[in-house]
Amino acid sequence: MLILRIWNYLRGYAIIIVKGIKIERFINLAVVNDIYLWDIEKIDYTTIKAKISSKDFLKLRSIVRKTDSNIQIIEKCGIPFKLKKIKNRKWFFAGVAALFIFIYILSSYIWMIEIYGLQNIDEQVIIDNLSYEGLKIGVRKNKINKREIENKMLIRMPELTWVGLEIKGTKAFVTIVEKKPEPQLINRDEPCDIIASKNGVIEKILVLNGDGMVKDGDTVKKNQLLVSGTIIRDNFPERYVHSMAEVHARTWYEDVEEIPYEQIEYRKSGKVYTTYSMEIINRKLERNKKIPYEDYNKREREIYVLNFGSYVFPIKLVITEYEELVSMTKIISADEAKTICEERLNTKIKLQIPEDAVILNQRIEYFPNEKSLIGKIYVEVLEDIGVKVRIY
Amino acid sequence: MSSKSYKIKEKISDALELPKDITLDIPKIVILGTDSVSIENHKGIISYKDNEVRINTGSGILTITGHKLAIKSIILEEIIIIGKIDSIGYR
Repeated sequence: MLILRIWNYLRGYAIIIVKGIKIERFINLAVVNDIYLWDIEKIDYTTIKAKISSKDFLKLRSIVRKTDSNIQIIEKCGIPFKLKKIKNRKWFFAGVAALFIFIYILSSYIWMIEIYGLQNIDEQVIIDNLSYEGLKIGVRKNKINKREIENKMLIRMPELTWVGLEIKGTKAFVTIVEKKPEPQLINRDEPCDIIASKNGVIEKILVLNGDGMVKDGDTVKKNQLLVSGTIIRDNFPERYVHSMAEVHARTWYEDVEEIPYEQIEYRKSGKVYTTYSMEIINRKLERNKKIPYEDYNKREREIYVLNFGSYVFPIKLVITEYEELVSMTKIISADEAKTICEERLNTKIKLQIPEDAVILNQRIEYFPNEKSLIGKIYVEVLEDIGVKVRIY
Repeated sequence: MSSKSYKIKEKISDALELPKDITLDIPKIVILGTDSVSIENHKGIISYKDNEVRINTGSGILTITGHKLAIKSIILEEIIIIGKIDSIGYR
């Protein structure tokens, strides 16, 4: 009978009160005349409360007359009556609908732009450039292509290293990173000295302008004056020139690396353990499960569950996968340790040596002990160590 | 009820294994716990009170007693009575 109830709800029904002495006869006659009554309750000796569909209600008249009873409607239920109510208050509902539409429309525009990371550049310059690329107050959110604006901003403003654009609600957050000021070049007509940038032995010094203060074969320390731009001659006043020289010097680099003979290796065992958790507005709902592995690789994926147009509801499903790792202790021989040591030392030392330097000599010494092998690398290179410094 | 035609009908439906409630026009009563009774093949309500409902059926007058009895649904074939049921019997 549930379907019938739903049907009645859709068609509309009334709750009635029937008064009369022959109340049982009233019910029986209703049944015989194909009138569906339901939820009949006795209120007192002569009164019942029942539900009846609005269509059947009109058919009751003849029964009422036959049984001398008295009917009263106490409530009208169902969709048709609800619709009637809505019709009477249509402006109220239209207003509610308009409000929601209004909020939706308003919230699909950018109303605020905030810029972070400014140091030297004027904020107005950034705002002007952004508006030229299509991000300004009052622009529709779905017209904004974030990546494109970021790239275009970088092309437009060469003084920026990075631009990040994020939209939250009706606010656009622009994060910028300015380029560091480039090292100031000293103009040809400005007087300057040349000093050593690091310790070394001068291999060859070729002075083009200025007075050389060191000779080939001299050992120099960091910041030592190599070429002076102050020229002092007898009988002449002091003169300042722009020093120019090529100073090639031998310099040294060294590094240490220790390789234990016992090597621990981690290998994937192929077992994967997966947990699921929900995150609602940064609040994590999680069952505390114990991870059955001692060592593992953890990997997280996030899925936003609800998307509505350009709105992303802050409900996400976090899938965490744990891959089991099995540790294995391996004893390596002295020769193997040496190969690993050499490889690591070479990569480490390469980071220290400038690119334009010429490697003259390279030597690795090994100091074995009981548990590990210590390797030391010495590299001798030829490089330009002259740095220009302005004379004040 | 013990007329000749009734006995013949009963024998035929026994022999053919037909459901008796249909062939003999007798009620089929389903009681669900103490909350609900449904009577198929009824012949109308005789009296309806808060604590007693009497229903006419093919096998006599069925009396249901209890508290707060209500007729959940009534159509030509079936009555469903709900409430706290104490006893059901033909009286």
